[in-house]
Amino acid sequence: MSIIRIEKLVKNYENNGLLVPAVRGVDLSIERGEFSAIAGPSGSGKTTLLNLIGGLDRPSEGKVFVGESDLTALTPKELSDLRLRKIGFVFQAYNLIPVLTAMENVEYVLLLQGVDKNERANRSAAMLREVGLEKEMDRLPREMSGGQQQRVAVARAIVSEPDIVLADEPTANLDQKTGESLIDLMHRLNHEKKITFLFSTHDPMVMHRAERLVHIIDGHIDSDERKGSGRAPAKKKAPGKGKKGATKSSQGKARR
Amino acid sequence: MKIFFLICWRNLWRHKRRSLIVISSVAVGVFAIILAMGLINGIMVQMVDNTINTSLGHLSIQRKGFQGSVRLQYAFAPGEDIARALKASGVSIKGYAPRVKVKGMVRSSESSRGVLIVGIDPVKERSVSYLYTYTSKEEGSSFLDDPAANDILISKSMADRMELVPGDKLVLMVQNAKGEMSGTGMTVRGVFSTPVDAFDRYTVFTGIDRLRELTGTPGLVSEINAVLTDRNAAVGAKKKIGALISSPGIEVLTWQEMAPSLVSSIMIVDTMMYVSFFIIFITIIFSIANTLVMAIMERFHEIGVMKSIGTGPRWIFLMVLFESMNLGLLGLGAGIILGTTVTGILGATGIDLSVYSETMRTMGSGSVIYPAVRGFDIFMATVIVLFTTVSAAVFPARKAARIEPVEALTYI
Repeated sequence: MSIIRIEKLVKNYENNGLLVPAVRGVDLSIERGEFSAIAGPSGSGKTTLLNLIGGLDRPSEGKVFVGESDLTALTPKELSDLRLRKIGFVFQAYNLIPVLTAMENVEYVLLLQGVDKNERANRSAAMLREVGLEKEMDRLPREMSGGQQQRVAVARAIVSEPDIVLADEPTANLDQKTGESLIDLMHRLNHEKKITFLFSTHDPMVMHRAERLVHIIDGHIDSDERKGSGRAPAKKKAPGKGKKGATKSSQGKARR
Repeated sequence: MKIFFLICWRNLWRHKRRSLIVISSVAVGVFAIILAMGLINGIMVQMVDNTINTSLGHLSIQRKGFQGSVRLQYAFAPGEDIARALKASGVSIKGYAPRVKVKGMVRSSESSRGVLIVGIDPVKERSVSYLYTYTSKEEGSSFLDDPAANDILISKSMADRMELVPGDKLVLMVQNAKGEMSGTGMTVRGVFSTPVDAFDRYTVFTGIDRLRELTGTPGLVSEINAVLTDRNAAVGAKKKIGALISSPGIEVLTWQEMAPSLVSSIMIVDTMMYVSFFIIFITIIFSIANTLVMAIMERFHEIGVMKSIGTGPRWIFLMVLFESMNLGLLGLGAGIILGTTVTGILGATGIDLSVYSETMRTMGSGSVIYPAVRGFDIFMATVIVLFTTVSAAVFPARKAARIEPVEALTYI
């Protein structure tokens, strides 16, 4: 069953009276439990696509469904509720609330959901243990490394058990080793907890690890390839760049 | 909710200096309210007390119409019911005394002037006024002792103007109950000096029996003045005592009813002061609003993130509102501590304004002012601060609540 379904999605921006297309008629479907990535060069429209899927931005045309909810038909308040309950976000710049500790950052989402105080504390602590930060719970973001902050962001994204986690270039600000460790963590969570992940990335490592890779160029889906299990690559082995094994799915087909 | 309040609280301290400047401005404003109102309150309390202590008492039992027209025709023979009512009402009364009041004139060899002549019982009067205290006991001056004696008390200012000293004679002219003018020579027994200039200019005292004799009103009184242990109990006491008096045409008046202009002037001054403070605090509204707008612009990206992860506009609005209220409440707390401490110290030591003694006497307040903190002023300061901080937060909070997540996420 599709968690995300996109139909004929178009997003245009206006710049000095000129219409600049960012996404040009994309059809895409993401299934439950997928560990997928949208890849493409800078300016290709991958972040815009992720923002549209996450209900952070409104499409110019077309529809986005999260489960049965048509995002284009929701009010800002309903969109806000949907983001709170069904979608987890991981951002490139971590984007933790700087005045809250790791524990409080994770708890914050549960607070918004109206979860009881004790349950909030238990679930948040468990989630931080899950991402390996049991000793950093009381630290403020500025007291943690980039990798640790991003782990907190992952914990925050999944603590409310969303349908899908959208991660916008989550490794872009991390060194190679930390980035790999983070992807390992998310992959483990994907397998163990069956959490659906969708990345936007131009990091070859992430592209290689993704089990499904959607290439987007100039706002079109150029290819949609399904791969293996997404296990860590062997040392010194170049990340997959080619399109060997790629299948142009009917839903992932670019519309021109 | 703890986390929500933690965010609001910790956000305040991200720019300590900026927050402290706003908190200080609120604190100084609150301090100014408490101190200034304390001073005004001190002056007003002294004005009221002096008026009560020199002439009004807390309650006056009199015939209806006397308050508007001080004439002998309103004199009445106090019945037993009045004495019983004063004793049986359950009101805590310090003392009461009869007075006869009539308008007349005093003449010396130098000048003459119109006066209010008050006939008093020298013993009972001590329990309802400070006249005994205000009367000089030096240079031959003393208080009245015989209610039937041909003695008179005049103020020091009147004595100076009429060039009289204790022991001198003056002529007292008064119209009796039959409408006939009569004059008699009286001895200046003593001089008094109250803090109320208008009172001193216009009032003289003689023995009640002597004045009754002069006016042909034996056994009558113009009023019976009573002083309570608590002047704020006057309204309740009036009802209780009034209900027990059966004599027809007799009413009980409180000091507020006897001095309506004094009461209204207090209200006018209070209102003017509060309007002034509201105007001053409007400038603080802009200061707080400016701080909040700056804080929001600095946190534009962060607020976008909060909205992205599902924080609703209402929460963002409340967050900014609470941040503003936190600034205000901290300033309020500091201002109250500072204001009550300084006003309390000045209230104990007093502020000596004797260099302006003539002006202060005209106001009737005395030359040493004792500022007094009133709970109502602290309440009003709280209301003003809450109004200020909520008003200041509305625009920035709405601005923050309307931030579009996608716009904020790309904002650097």
